[in-house]
Amino acid sequence: MNNISHFVQKYRQASWRVQLQWLVLFVLGLVAVALVAGLYLSVSARAALTGRKIQSLEAAIRSGERVNANLESQLAALTSAQEMKELAIAIGFYPVDPAEITYVPVSGYAPPPAINMAPQETHSSAPVILPEYTRSLFDWFIERVPSAPSEAGGQP
Amino acid sequence: MKNPHTWRYVTVQIMLVVFGFSILVQILRIQHSAEAKAILDKDPGGGVQTFYPARGEILDLKGHLLAGNKIVYEVGVDLQVLKENEYANANTIALAASVYLDLDFATVLNWITQPPEGLRYIVLDNFASSDEEKALMDLQESVKDKPRDQTLEGLNSEPHLVRTYPEGSLAANIIGFVTQEGVGYYGVEEKYNSLLAGVPVKVWVSADPNRAEELPNIPPGATLILTLDREVQASVEEILDAAMLNTGAASGTVVVMDPKTGEILALAVTPHMNLNEYSRFKEIFPGETPFDRAISQAYEPGSVYKILTMAAALDKGVVKPEDTYWDSGINLIGGVAIRNWNNTVWGQQDMIGCLQHSINTCLVHVASLLGNDSFYSYMQKFGIGHTTGIDLAGEATGHLKLPGDSDWYPIDLGTNAFGQGVSVTPIQMVMAASAIANDGKMVYPHLVHAMVQDGWQQNISPQVAGSPISAATAHTLNDMLAISLEKESSNSLVPGYHIAGKTGTAQIPTPYGVYDSSTTNASFVGWGPVDDPKFLIYVWLEKPQTSIWGSEVAAPVFKQVVEKLVVLMGIPPDVVRLQPAGP
Repeated sequence: MNNISHFVQKYRQASWRVQLQWLVLFVLGLVAVALVAGLYLSVSARAALTGRKIQSLEAAIRSGERVNANLESQLAALTSAQEMKELAIAIGFYPVDPAEITYVPVSGYAPPPAINMAPQETHSSAPVILPEYTRSLFDWFIERVPSAPSEAGGQP
Repeated sequence: MKNPHTWRYVTVQIMLVVFGFSILVQILRIQHSAEAKAILDKDPGGGVQTFYPARGEILDLKGHLLAGNKIVYEVGVDLQVLKENEYANANTIALAASVYLDLDFATVLNWITQPPEGLRYIVLDNFASSDEEKALMDLQESVKDKPRDQTLEGLNSEPHLVRTYPEGSLAANIIGFVTQEGVGYYGVEEKYNSLLAGVPVKVWVSADPNRAEELPNIPPGATLILTLDREVQASVEEILDAAMLNTGAASGTVVVMDPKTGEILALAVTPHMNLNEYSRFKEIFPGETPFDRAISQAYEPGSVYKILTMAAALDKGVVKPEDTYWDSGINLIGGVAIRNWNNTVWGQQDMIGCLQHSINTCLVHVASLLGNDSFYSYMQKFGIGHTTGIDLAGEATGHLKLPGDSDWYPIDLGTNAFGQGVSVTPIQMVMAASAIANDGKMVYPHLVHAMVQDGWQQNISPQVAGSPISAATAHTLNDMLAISLEKESSNSLVPGYHIAGKTGTAQIPTPYGVYDSSTTNASFVGWGPVDDPKFLIYVWLEKPQTSIWGSEVAAPVFKQVVEKLVVLMGIPPDVVRLQPAGP
């Protein structure tokens, strides 16, 4: 027993051991700081890269929209009323005379409606915002609490 | 006991501390170095950028694009790069710009070598075409490895959208145009400029990718769907151009409207221009030439106005179709004798005959029966003297003198009755006539069928502008006008279709207060089929040379337009339309 106590005492008192411990702790601290710094560097680099990618994609979207508008206008020019008329005449069509037309009455026929490019704007079809996006935590809590009886008293 | 190796540990500790400290020092040194300062100075860190939404499109009723957008390029020079190059390639850039952008060499050289103080970027051409830009950028790529003075280093291009009109001159006077500055002039482009242009958004855009944020959604301007049908419009313009050529008229106007809804199906006027060449505006519309005569030029309409006088008298009950009038060729009103054209005497006529022969003295008689109060009250109900509110820029009011006005005289009641001494725009006459064609209900003329914005389409509902006459009056006058056309064997008649209408031949007032008897305004207003009108057409030819008569120059134009309309709108002849449908 004495031998063990003596060994422990000797061990504790060894200054080089204490210094070694401090050294290891310091190195561990340094490694920890290096890890955190490395992690920060990695995350910030990825954020920067993603940010740049977002900017590039936004530019690509704008470019795509421009190209789309340009192509739409080119297509419209190629199929303009004058172009289509010239094309029709070139392939042998000619403007019809009313007397050449034979009309056949068809019960229930309705002419095609005018162009619809988007849903009609009506109140009933307006987009609905879910209450989760507008309700406060307090409102939610109040809703969850069982409501108290509206009138005092009860059965006689 | 002292460890003999302690000094080693102490040495390692000291070295590590020194190493760590040196890292910190180095970090601080780098952050505050001249190079870091230069980088921070060079990087502006971003700035507020204004994003302009794409201008909304304009479509016809079937979705054909009438006004869209196309890509052009802003070509410019980064003066900072040029300065760093010590202006070695300034000559090359100026030469390339003069060849490909058609700019003056000396001017460009002066711009880029002696720019205003503080300028970092100079724009050479804001609207270079795709072909020009491509040629320039291809050249830049091909010379990039050559000696510095032969490169195009510093030359940049940036795409953006500008207005384009794929149909060229079709419906030009309705659409209007947009200048390079993005401002709409005339027609729909001016009237709906704010809607079409959209709302520019200012956003802080960081140059630091760490602070890159998603840009807010920038919706394009509203898309407008017009009531026009491009096939109808093209046909009407073609007919009008041919009529101008055949009659030698100074100008022409044809308006086609659905009398039940007020939707303008076609509106053709002269002159018209290719909207993609709007820089020729002053050449095509010299002086006071109106851009759209149908809405901007008031004129004395002459006998087409008689339908309004007769409508008022029938509605008031002062005359009936079978009432007779003895025409002696002269009628006194306000102490002045009113005569018929060419002093013709028509003898006894009923009211249908008065319209058929367009007897001035008869209409003076009818207006006298109405009296001042009723006559002018009806004219105001028909919207005469007021704008119609059509959704086009630049509408004129015309002029209706009223009793009590300093320029009104008792004779005006008589002359106004047959369309003299009162000025109207064609669109006012169209709106007023819609009451007769549409069971007494007058409709607002309009050109926009629907607007599309933020993913929703809002259709424009027809609006009734008033009911100046009863449905019964409208039906009676419809029949009278149809009969008078048939009795007259008018040039406006279209086989198979029951049409109502009235011609007009008006002398033109001179600046000296007298009428020029050698030139006229020839007009025709008509609609059909009479029992269920699908179209109302107004024709006006100014100063026709081949004939002064509306019945000889304007009525045939009406007929040609109807013949096209019944085909393009799918309106079968009355005999087919009125037969019961098969099982």
